[in-house]
Amino acid sequence: MRATQLTRALVAPPTVSVDETWRTHLRAHLSSGIIPVVERLPRGEQLTVTLPLLRKAIAHPDSLADDEVPFAWKPIFVRRSLGLAVVDACVSGRFRSPGEAAGPVASEAVAEWERTGWRTYHWEPWLAGLRPGTRALVLAEAVSWATVLWASLDWKALGQRPQLGGADDQWVCPAPRTVRLKGRSELRVPLVAGPARSSEVGQTPAPVALVSVSGGSPPLAWSDELAFLALVAALRSPSRPVPARVAGLWPDSGHHLIVEIDDEALTAAADRVMATVSTAVDARLSVLERT
Amino acid sequence: MPLAEIARVPEGASVDPRGEVTDAGTFTGDVPRPAVIAPQRASHDWQPLAGASLLERLRVTGRPRLKADPEFRRELREGLERGIRYQSPGGATGGTDVDVAPRLSAPVLVTKDRLTGVLACEAHQVAGEFGERQPTLAMACGALMDVLFRQLITVGGIDDPLDDGLAALHVDDRQHELASWIDRLPAADRIELRTELERQVQGLRRRWPRLEPAWLPRTQEAMRVGLAGGAVRLSARVDLAIGTPPEDEASVALVEIKAGARRVEHRADLHFYALVEALRSIAPPFVVATYYTRTGELDVDPVTEELLAAAARRTAAGTRALWNLARGAEPRRTPSYLCGRCVLLPECEPGRTRLAGPGAGRGRRPKGRATA
Repeated sequence: MRATQLTRALVAPPTVSVDETWRTHLRAHLSSGIIPVVERLPRGEQLTVTLPLLRKAIAHPDSLADDEVPFAWKPIFVRRSLGLAVVDACVSGRFRSPGEAAGPVASEAVAEWERTGWRTYHWEPWLAGLRPGTRALVLAEAVSWATVLWASLDWKALGQRPQLGGADDQWVCPAPRTVRLKGRSELRVPLVAGPARSSEVGQTPAPVALVSVSGGSPPLAWSDELAFLALVAALRSPSRPVPARVAGLWPDSGHHLIVEIDDEALTAAADRVMATVSTAVDARLSVLERT
Repeated sequence: MPLAEIARVPEGASVDPRGEVTDAGTFTGDVPRPAVIAPQRASHDWQPLAGASLLERLRVTGRPRLKADPEFRRELREGLERGIRYQSPGGATGGTDVDVAPRLSAPVLVTKDRLTGVLACEAHQVAGEFGERQPTLAMACGALMDVLFRQLITVGGIDDPLDDGLAALHVDDRQHELASWIDRLPAADRIELRTELERQVQGLRRRWPRLEPAWLPRTQEAMRVGLAGGAVRLSARVDLAIGTPPEDEASVALVEIKAGARRVEHRADLHFYALVEALRSIAPPFVVATYYTRTGELDVDPVTEELLAAAARRTAAGTRALWNLARGAEPRRTPSYLCGRCVLLPECEPGRTRLAGPGAGRGRRPKGRATA
């Protein structure tokens, strides 16, 4: 799909909407499905459901029982956040392309951390201590990642400026063990409102579309996975709009796919969450039995 | 298959390495001129292309660029899938078992190396995949030049080639073992590696043109294509992609970097890249090229429908062989240039016969031929 076509499809007025009663229903539906499953876990256990976990639970369920690798910074952990900052700098008109922006944006982030001690991206101290070869690799990863996103959309046709990155959407299920749903999207694009339901007139803020960038190829259940991002955004707060659609970009395979968010899409995503929680709890229990 | 073009400067000419591109424009450029070589600098010694001339060699192929053609792309994909189902290197098998993807726990992964390996000798390919690959200085040099080239493209400079390159390899999970091996090299080998790296980097600095950021140069671009309902996955990672994504016409150039000697199979690698890009994008790349950092040679192939069709036939044959091996088929032994360094040689009759045959003492690897 060409950048112009994708952008046009992304910003088209919403054709469907999800009303507040369905949101309430979804919360209840998820809670009733999750609570009895997570009660099997020992007290104090927590579970965080993310898009990668959703994927892993289907593609490699056995790996959920693997030991967690201790976190250490790597270039690929930086590329998304630096890449988003790079695209943001290009959208704002400061730079013409990601290749121009990456070095200055990274240097500014490090300088700001050195000046204030505040870590906007968390990787600033790590990047500051790198040797030139490693730093160049970090920048190269970010440039390649950002270039793909930059070239995928017709930014001038987006209308209002989109939000790049930002805090993850989160919803904590009121269960006896903490189950946190976290949705991370790369872009939030404001849309022109479509036909609202009479009960929503004057109450609902402008709808948004989300954009998610993933590696590899779209899996069979790609629409459920994209809808998961809308589900978490919808559950997060009643005052925020349910995303109207979610676009998924798989640059490696050249796929651009869009799912329109309606009751059915959200229900499918909720069912996928419950299945994932069940798989993850089984894996966690098998680890506890082993130890 | 189109005649391969090789970037040799015409006899009796040399290039000006200090040439600069003045008008960035788009990478595809549509510059109608061939590479310009200043006549006053002509000499009878061959010199590698550099600066603006190298860039122009990449940008101006002398052939029309392919248009975005969904019908051709569909035919290419369908032809490839038919080929995978019904073709094998030894002849038609007539089976349709590729459709039964769930019988294999994972898709058949097709990369340039696996393709070249399995088409040369299935037995060598199987033995090589499961054996431990002992690092060599050449391997280390190749991996280091890959990251140093990436550094040059991204930040425009390289300080200390060995230090910069090693630092980058150490944070790459796939190269960590190689980096540790380099760390443990005896002093003499380390000096040899450093000397070769410095020589190649010096050549890169002198010859490689500056790429305008507006051309969107990106390094280590991953490319994936699923085929046969996900039963097969074509996978490639190209060192450098240049050009904005295509709209109506091919607009991207793919460049592979090689630190070692020029080999004929590198052309087939390029064509595989062209095929994967053609299948995943709106339009194929307009050119694929290999740049040899050791010599400054540049092999350039304009991408045509014939090139893509030939690449699809080769890929289908190799994929079918990989598919059969994944299902447990007995690997066939085919005498090839790999026999001399194959771990199976002591028990391989065709390999021993080949090596005992006439001319066995001479280098048997097929060489790419440079044409003026």
